[in-house]
Parts: sequence; structure tokens; C-alpha cells
Amino acid sequence: MNVHPTAIIHPHAQVAGSVTVGAYSRIGEHVELGEGTEVMAHAVVEGHTRIGKNNQIFPFASVGGIPHDLKYRGEVAYVEIGDGNIIREFVTIHCGTALGESVTRIGHHNFLMAYVHIAHDCTVGNHVIMANAISLAGHVEIQDYAFVGPLCAIHQFCRIGAYSFLGACTVATRDVLPYSKTSAPRPLGMYGTNRKGLESRGLSKEDIKDLDAAFRLLSRSKLNTTQALEAMEAREFKSPHVQKLVEFIRTSPRGVAK
Amino acid sequence: MNVHPTAVVHPGARLADSVTVGPYTVIGEHVELGEGTEVISHTVIEGRTRIGKNNRIFPYVSIGFPPQDVKYRGEDTRVEIGDGNTIREFVSIHRANTSGEGVTRIGNHNWLMAYVHIAHNCTLGDHIIIANGASLAGHIEIHDHATVGAYCGIHQFCRIGAYSFLGAFSAVNQDILPYSKTTAPRPLGVYGTNKIGLERRGLPPEDIKDLEGAFRLLTRSKLNTTQALEAIEAKGFHSPHVKVLVEFIKSTERGVAK
Repeated sequence: MNVHPTAIIHPHAQVAGSVTVGAYSRIGEHVELGEGTEVMAHAVVEGHTRIGKNNQIFPFASVGGIPHDLKYRGEVAYVEIGDGNIIREFVTIHCGTALGESVTRIGHHNFLMAYVHIAHDCTVGNHVIMANAISLAGHVEIQDYAFVGPLCAIHQFCRIGAYSFLGACTVATRDVLPYSKTSAPRPLGMYGTNRKGLESRGLSKEDIKDLDAAFRLLSRSKLNTTQALEAMEAREFKSPHVQKLVEFIRTSPRGVAK
Repeated sequence: MNVHPTAVVHPGARLADSVTVGPYTVIGEHVELGEGTEVISHTVIEGRTRIGKNNRIFPYVSIGFPPQDVKYRGEDTRVEIGDGNTIREFVSIHRANTSGEGVTRIGNHNWLMAYVHIAHNCTLGDHIIIANGASLAGHIEIHDHATVGAYCGIHQFCRIGAYSFLGAFSAVNQDILPYSKTTAPRPLGVYGTNKIGLERRGLPPEDIKDLEGAFRLLTRSKLNTTQALEAIEAKGFHSPHVKVLVEFIKSTERGVAK
């Protein structure tokens, strides 16, 4: 066992011989950690939590805490995590409640990116990828091989089906079909010059006037982008910022929001 | 050098004389911190991470950990941060994968608010503001003087142009034009009374009924807000909560969502 001298491990915790525990981590009384699992600095594992083999728990993760459930009355409830999972910084995984089966369960070989929140009574299968800052409410099921995009929020009791792809920034209030590509539409509107921002950053009135006109050509005329760029160059705006705008558009690999 | 006795600083780390390292900070072997930089407390910095002068790093920050990239195999990649940056709580900045120069780079005088995530291979210029919870995927470029609103999710390889303003909660899939104001539309709907919430909080049925009557006048009638308020007062609802509702609307500075 490779335990930093500042780590606090309860004497009753069951920690396998090849576990690594980093500085200022805290491992609670009813925790089990399997072979090869690594708990990095400042991570907290508490509650009745059983974690399997070869998991990586990054700094500031909090596993086994009590749920965000006003009905929770302090009953004994569990977190069970399998093998080979990556649990990144600031992930929170809360224990189950008596209203569920008293367990929050995560399978094997899952990748939970930073800031992911797994609420009480959730079930995550195997080989799931959960991108940054997803929030699962209670009793959510994520099935095998699903991919959930960053900043999604999943309503309680919903299921995300196996092999599905859920696009970023989606609020899911119903089940997501297995094998599907599902996403919230993500319209983006470009509303011309960032006038206030430019003024507060000291651009001159003339610069802003030129940029206003350039943006009008880009988005308010009937010209497509290529034609608009030609029109902007033909106008020979004095402001060097217009040239920067043109260069940016010309060199865009993914296209610009317009 | 002002290093708290509980800080764990690897002897190989290079800290300039005027650096301050607060309690429970963990600093790894290949980390460099420049003059005047302050790491307030509980932060973990590892990997090949060079941080310049006069930066302020708030509690619970994670810098230099491996990228969230399944292709990454432990290669020796870097993070470089310039001078005069403010990095708030729970920010995470990950080191690069081996593509490009193998570095995640942040310039000077930037303000990263709480919970911001900067992924592998991102490049940030100078004088950028990124508000709470915004998440950058890998290989994103943010150019000088840009402002990124709260909880934006930005797709990998996108560029955020100089002096742009990106509104909060925008999901970004393409480049954002420099000098522009760009945002996702943010519709908001009022769906009448928070009936279930009011019942749980013990409001009697008569109060809820009055409030439902008031909301119907506000949102389901053909009256504008001023007329609706007059109609509500004319009806003489008994519930004091209706008066609270009316007062709230009358005293609004930004207008109410309706």
C-alpha cells in the first residue's frame, strides 16, 4: 500500500495491498478499495462504499456522500463501483436511498469526466463515457456504451439507452433511445458588433463604426460569406480590426456562427 | 518564499522567492511558479507545468493532470500559464496530448471564474474573461480580449475570436466571430403556479386557488401586465400571497419572465 503520510484512512477501512492513496485524501470507515485502485490527492471516499480494482479517482472527487434527497433520513445506503473506471476531478457520487434499492451503482470501464454528478440510486453500466459537468438526478439509468455529452442534465428516473449518443448541453426529461443520436437543437445567433465590449477595451469610435459596417455586410445583406468578404475588401475599411475579422473568417476550419 | 507547513511541495519543484503557497496545497516535481504568484490553499498542481508571475490561484484548483483523452498514454506533455491571471475555485486545466506542440497554453491577465474547465491543447491569449462553469473541449483557441459567458459548452477545435462576447449557456459548434456579440437564444416560459411546491411548503388550498386565478390573469388573458395587475387588484383576492406577487411585479427593475 502506497499511502501518503497526510492521508487519513480509517483503521476499519479495507484497502487492498496495491492501492495508492494521495496527500490529504480521506478514506472512511466503511470503505473498501480493490487492488490497483488509485485515490489521488484531496479525494474523499466515505459512506458504505465498495470500489473494485484498477480505478483512478482524481483529486477533489467526492464518492459516497449523502444524497441531495430531502427524504433521506440517514439510513445506511451504498455506493458500489466496479473495476477500471476513471473518475476525474470534482466528480460527486452520492449513496442510494431507501426509496430506491439503497444503492448507487457504477459498473466497469467507465469514464466520468470532471464535474460529473451521479445522484442517489443511479445506475451506470459498463463502458459509458460521461463528458464534463453532466448532472444526473436521482434514479437515472445510463446503459452500456452510452455517450453523454458535456453539460447535459438528466431528469430523475430517465434512462439513457445503450450505445446512444446524447449531444452536449441537452436537458433530457424523457428516456433517450438506445442506438440513437439524440440532441437538443442548439441555435446560435450572431448579433453584430460587441459594441460595449469594444468601447470598454478602448477601441476607437472609427474602429467600431467600420466593424459595424463590416458586420452589416456579413449578416444583414443578401450576400453569402464569400461575397461579403469581397465586398468588405472592396470597401477598404481603414480599421485594421476589419482586416483581422476577414482573416479570421478566411482561416476558419469549422465555419463561423453567423 | 512563504510555504505553509501543511503544503506538500516536491523538492524538485521550482518556486520563485516571492511565491506564496497556502495550506494543504500539493505541488509536483516538475512544477515552476514565478515571482509573486499566490496559491491560496487546497490546490493540486502536477505534471510539467510552468506558471508565470503574479498569478492568483484560488482554493481547490486542479492544474496539470492528464488529458481526458482515451488516446493519451502517459506522455510527457505540458501546461504553460503566463502572468497576472486570476484562477478561481474548482477550475481545472489539463495538460496536452502529444498532438501539436504538446502544450495547453494560457496567456496573461486572464480571469477564469469558478468551475471553468480548460481541456488539453487549448490556447488562450491575453485579457480573456471566462465566466462560471464554462467548459472548453480540446484544442480550442480563445483570442485576446474575448468574453465567454457562464456555462458555455465549446466543441473541440473551435475558435473564439478576439474581442467577442459569447452569451451565457451557448452551445458552440463553430467559430465565434471576433468583435461580435453572439449568443444562443434563451427562451423562458412561465407555466403558471408552482402548485406542487406550494403544497409541499404548506400553503392552504385557498391560497393556491387565488394564486392560480392571479396567474391566469397575468399569462392566460389578453391583458398586458399593467392591465393584469389592475384586474388582480380589482378581484380582491383574499390570499396575502397574491399581494406579494403583485408587489414583486411592481418593483421589478429588469422586467419579469411571463
